Amino acid sequence: MRAVRCAGWDGIAGLCVDDVPVPAIRPGCVRIGIRYAGVAFANILMVESKYQRRPDLPFVPGTDVSGEVLEVASDVDGIAPGDRVCAFVDSGGWAEQVVHPVETVYPVGDGLPMDAASTLPSSYATALCSLTWRGGLSAGQTLLVLGAGGGVGLAAVDVANALGARVIAVASTSEKRDVALAHGADAVIEPKDFRPRVRSLTDGRGVNVVFDPIGGDMFHDALRCLDIGGRLLTIGYAAGDIPQIGVNLLLLKNIGVMGFSWGTYMGWGPDHGREVFAPRVRPQIARLVRMWRDGKIAPRIHKAYPLERIADAAAEITGRRNIGRVVVHP
Amino acid sequence: MRAVVCEDWCDYDDLTIGEAPVPDLVPGGVRIRIEYAGVSFATTLVVAGKYQRKPPLPFVPGTEVAGTVLECGDGVTRCKPGDRVLAVVDWGGYAEQMVAREANVHVVPDGLPLDAAVALCISYPTSFGGLCWRANLAEGETVLVHGAAGGVGLAAVEIAQAVGARVIAVANGDEKQAILRDRGVEHVIATDGFRENVESITGGDGLDVVYDPVGGPVSRPSISCLRPGGRLVTIGYAAGEIPSIGFNVLLVKNVSVMGFNWGEYVGWSPVDRRDRYADEVAEMMQTLFGWWRDGKIRPTVHASFDLADFRDAMREVRGRKAIGRVVLTP
Repeated sequence: MRAVRCAGWDGIAGLCVDDVPVPAIRPGCVRIGIRYAGVAFANILMVESKYQRRPDLPFVPGTDVSGEVLEVASDVDGIAPGDRVCAFVDSGGWAEQVVHPVETVYPVGDGLPMDAASTLPSSYATALCSLTWRGGLSAGQTLLVLGAGGGVGLAAVDVANALGARVIAVASTSEKRDVALAHGADAVIEPKDFRPRVRSLTDGRGVNVVFDPIGGDMFHDALRCLDIGGRLLTIGYAAGDIPQIGVNLLLLKNIGVMGFSWGTYMGWGPDHGREVFAPRVRPQIARLVRMWRDGKIAPRIHKAYPLERIADAAAEITGRRNIGRVVVHP
Repeated sequence: MRAVVCEDWCDYDDLTIGEAPVPDLVPGGVRIRIEYAGVSFATTLVVAGKYQRKPPLPFVPGTEVAGTVLECGDGVTRCKPGDRVLAVVDWGGYAEQMVAREANVHVVPDGLPLDAAVALCISYPTSFGGLCWRANLAEGETVLVHGAAGGVGLAAVEIAQAVGARVIAVANGDEKQAILRDRGVEHVIATDGFRENVESITGGDGLDVVYDPVGGPVSRPSISCLRPGGRLVTIGYAAGEIPSIGFNVLLVKNVSVMGFNWGEYVGWSPVDRRDRYADEVAEMMQTLFGWWRDGKIRPTVHASFDLADFRDAMREVRGRKAIGRVVLTP
């Protein structure tokens, strides 16, 4: 089968599309015929060896996929060949097929387009679970989303709107801000001088939660946009710099910084396997499918590329041109 | 009336006792005949002009009082003349009388001695707000309390026990550790080697919550003890050093750091929000009073001094080894 291979830590430029053996089915696993696979900032970091997780070389990158079940190991119940699924996989997503433990394979039923389905186990699940599990966002509260045009940022806008929160979206271009509005943002603002804008949009009180996939310089101002009891969710560092703070600022302002790493819930943490978290995660993916069915969320695909154009797909992300999710299809 | 007066920023011991005018009753104000005023170390910083909040000179120091309501200004509904009350106030406590804002005054239940009620002004609300409002400590969770034999630490231990959490208390020295065992704490450990001890006590599962009034060298290793979804509450920096935290540590470990600052809820912040939080604070006080009635919290008095002996009282605070509050009687 065709697959993108990473044979060294040379980043996207070092990747090539090769013919590789079809992976064999293993106990506890299903084989998925991949229709779409997400391309995210984390995937790019991973092939540069800059991510917290480092697979053994060589490997096929790609972590979030949609497709059809082709084969099921004899010890796996409740899922059958032909089922339409989305899945989060340790690696192997940028290929025609992948074999993966069933714990992070999620049936999506009929109707949900396959490109949209590929966003559920990654950007949408990150948004939903960080906002609800960690951030405690509830209906009527106000959320500030940084990087609202990106894959996970736009998912946060969409999900928070579905949860009944008031959403203020920060995005760098007018096109991104228009898309954020279309996905339910109540107000959109430019990154420049966003802090006074947030103040005036909240009658001086500030927001309850900040969703921050960017890091870098913006977080200083974002922290100061929080109301008493507010929480900043740190999701990633697209800006490159990892913020450091003296914790006395959190005390003086009565606020919190909350880390959220989706990989932990997918079994990437040092302490617990994916089976530990599966009973909590599975209902959240099902909830996202219901939200889509009820018309409450609408995952946006920026552009779909064939596997061979993985470099072009990644360039959209590093160039910050994407609005929503970039995907590849084998 | 008799009062301790701060004419200019000075050492605590250079304050003088003398006659001060009885403060005027104002709309929304409550005149209290003070029976006990709490003595806390922070007052030495306030009178030296080194605290983040500087009262207008001259002023009467003292922020925690318990006494009896003499009269109420227009619009006051939370108490009436004759009520036994506690109040956490901006300043004015080291005197025979003061006028407090209604939002800061709480009627104490019958049977709760007024000297003990002084402890319910700051230590208990700080620990309640940190553990219950900020960290959402739940029954069955495991919480590590640093500085557990100190004022807020011991309050945190009792509150965590009242919530139904499993408590690991950190205190150094046989005497302090004995106090905690006497209060029914099963796991009492020293700061030295606390990580290893937490690891073995929790069977490697880690902590849900860390209550940290110490800061400095204990904060970062404490974050390492948290399990995914865990929270560290930063309350103060008794160790003198303010820790700095990289956001990526929080992300990779799926944990949070949150600050709690009681002063902001009672009107001590640059923007006075005490009226906005009056109902939430009143509800907190009712919960604390209920726990006192049920014998779950035991606010205690260590020593009582005449107002004229305010210097001796502070020496007792600085040097004391026993638990409980030091109070003045005007």
